[in-house]
Amino acid sequence: MDFTLTDEQQLLVDTLRTVLANECPPSLLREHHDCRGAHAPLWEHLRGFAELGRGDATDACLVFDELGYAAAPGPFFASVGLFAGLLEAIDADSALRDAVAAGEVVGTVAAADSQGIWHANDDLVKTFIPDADLAQLIAVVSATDDAMFVTILPHPGPSALAEIETVDPSRKYFRWDTGDEIGAAIPCTPMQWRAFLDRSFALASAETLGAARRCFSMALEYAKEREQFDRPIGSFQAIQHKLAEMSLLVERATAALHYAAMAIDADHADRTSACHVAKAAAGVAARRCLKDSIQIHGGIGYTWEHDLHLFLRRATVAETQFGTTSWHHDRLADVLFA
Amino acid sequence: MKLDWSETDERFRGELLAFLEAKTPPEATRVDFPGNASGGDAIPAWLRAWQATLFDHGWMIPGYPPELGGRNCTPTQTMIYLEEFARRRIPRATHFPGYAIVAPSLLEFGNEQQRSLAPAAIRGDTVWCVGMSEPNAGSDLASLRTRAVRDGDVFVVNGQKVWTSYAMVAQQCFCYVRTDPDAPKHKGISLLIIDMDTPGIEVRPLTHITGHADFAEVFFTDVKVPVANLVGELNGGWALTQGSLAHERAGLWVDGVARLEQTVRDLVDLAKLVGRHDDSGVRRAIASMFEQASSLRSLGYKGFASYAQGSSAPEHSYMKMASSEAGKAAFELGMELLGPFGAATGAGSPTTLGDDTGRWVTSFYVSFANTIAGGSSEIQRNIIAQRVLGLPRA
Ligand SMILES: Cc1cc2nc3c(=O)[nH]c(=O)nc-3n(C[C@H](O)[C@H](O)[C@H](O)COP(=O)(O)OP(=O)(O)OC[C@H]3O[C@@H](n4cnc5c(N)ncnc54)[C@H](O)[C@@H]3O)c2cc1C
Repeated sequence: MDFTLTDEQQLLVDTLRTVLANECPPSLLREHHDCRGAHAPLWEHLRGFAELGRGDATDACLVFDELGYAAAPGPFFASVGLFAGLLEAIDADSALRDAVAAGEVVGTVAAADSQGIWHANDDLVKTFIPDADLAQLIAVVSATDDAMFVTILPHPGPSALAEIETVDPSRKYFRWDTGDEIGAAIPCTPMQWRAFLDRSFALASAETLGAARRCFSMALEYAKEREQFDRPIGSFQAIQHKLAEMSLLVERATAALHYAAMAIDADHADRTSACHVAKAAAGVAARRCLKDSIQIHGGIGYTWEHDLHLFLRRATVAETQFGTTSWHHDRLADVLFA
Repeated sequence: MKLDWSETDERFRGELLAFLEAKTPPEATRVDFPGNASGGDAIPAWLRAWQATLFDHGWMIPGYPPELGGRNCTPTQTMIYLEEFARRRIPRATHFPGYAIVAPSLLEFGNEQQRSLAPAAIRGDTVWCVGMSEPNAGSDLASLRTRAVRDGDVFVVNGQKVWTSYAMVAQQCFCYVRTDPDAPKHKGISLLIIDMDTPGIEVRPLTHITGHADFAEVFFTDVKVPVANLVGELNGGWALTQGSLAHERAGLWVDGVARLEQTVRDLVDLAKLVGRHDDSGVRRAIASMFEQASSLRSLGYKGFASYAQGSSAPEHSYMKMASSEAGKAAFELGMELLGPFGAATGAGSPTTLGDDTGRWVTSFYVSFANTIAGGSSEIQRNIIAQRVLGLPRA
């Protein structure tokens, strides 16, 4: 069992960090609040990484962790994370897979039911379809009593989809009442669905964790700089212990994520359970880090002007999507009590 | 990043399991939780024999060479080893100071003669205690006052240690003393090996809250210790205390996490036994424990493979703190599941509860020691904040 990053992985992380530092500063996130098209120059850079959508989960998790850290806007998560993952899982048309891997076609996935739960369902209303307004194609996953299907449809036009507004403007979510428009479908076996879900949960954990890590590191930096009572607030034990606990949760969730990603790549028996653990651990870290990072910043952290809230928003929404922490705990309980 | 066990690792596991199958004494599988295995001041004969058997077959500290009770295995294999023991709840020994603290420190800091004491410490032939804490020097260990004054060929030792585990049964004490009272407090400490039967030593057992006497106060009155028993440099003892604590932390986390995983499985069984397996709150709470245990296991594998080499890393503090705190919460959850019988200890409890009666509250109490001994959780948080995160000292 080897948790060390390969040289290629380290290079991937370093390259992406540079891209994001240059192309995705907080000013871009603010601009994107008012102008949905502001992410376009960033996407021009990120589409070069779209091949990762069908590569190893270990590489993809490292990348989505960085994207979460930067709260990167744009369709990368929807298309490279979800859509490509689903196409690979069901062995879809290779021309389409190539186009998505080249960043030429952008898709998203409609699978969560009307309650927002990511499980096999026959609900005609799909919710929390990420960044559907940026996608050309939408893959709709539906289920009957004994079979599942994926239907790849062109975007039905802006009026067909209703936005589900959240606290995080860096990503939009949509609701789609598909009615009975769903036509020709590709069959999806339970094993393929499971493979897609596990990978999606792992990538969602990576994003959630990245956002948590950003809140934590901003708080750590601030604690070293801000002085009160003639010394840095980071010298106060109450603040030190908060940061120690936050860093434990971040480290623990990172280890859980890397283990889950390795379990996916090895198709290990532990895979599903490891992915539930990863998302739950990331969710726990996110909740703690977003609350305590504000507390450590004091009043300035509570302002719109300070950048902290840009990342706190991503962390807040990411915890609720692709299974809340409690939902993943419930799934783990199903395994433990089986 | 790659998850797979190499063929050599699997062969290692196979050899270990075959050994355990053939040699584990029947008493070993009945020991519930390491830590309260001795149940008193004596070390049971079967456990001493077991430790010697482990040593003789190279299964006591498998990362060490054969002459030190091992087989030169890799850090990963050491983790396989510790997990298999914990999963089967097989103790290696009750008195860990000898093999987990004293031997590694002697090997790292001792002279040739002192290093030769290590095999017996690991095999359990010599029982050691560690004399660090004093009435006024606990977390602030550097404030220790037990004095050692050089007089020709001997140091004359006067003072008091406290909370000294196994002092009642130990032949040797790994004892930190003040040799220069005028130097800054970290710079006047030395480490002595003291024979426990030297005249002038008095051991007064102290009883744990569990009712067992497992540690003691140790009084030193004009105790004469040969100068040759000085370990490391005169007044250089502080570096060695850091070494000892690191060995202790590093070794205990794997045990702690593996035990936690076992406890989670026990909680599932207990929930079924008391008919709470359909209670969503209970299921979630147990699943949350599972999430913690399994992510800590990954954290252990990820960052701390250096464990088997005995090297110290401040990151060990994460594992010490998190596994001891989680353990406490897990046993508390067990008590919760037992409801009104959560604090019952034996007679009068429903017979259907079987071995679970009293077991959870006892372990809950035992778990309190883990967040205090070997550096409290608060001290671990200080270490993380200052040495890992680089925050300024107050
Ligand atoms: C079961 C058991 C076995 C032990 N075995 C041994 C042994 O074999 N040999 C040995 O030498 N010792 C042994 N000890 C002692 C152990 O190492 C000490 O208890 C420990 O270091 C704490 O010291 P203390 O008890 O004096 O508590 P104190 O140091 O007085 O601490 C009391 C409380 O104050 C907190 N505190 C102290 N300083 C700080 C700080 N800077 N910041 C925040 N909080 C702080 C602590 O966390 C704790 O909550 C054992 C203890 C136990 C419980």
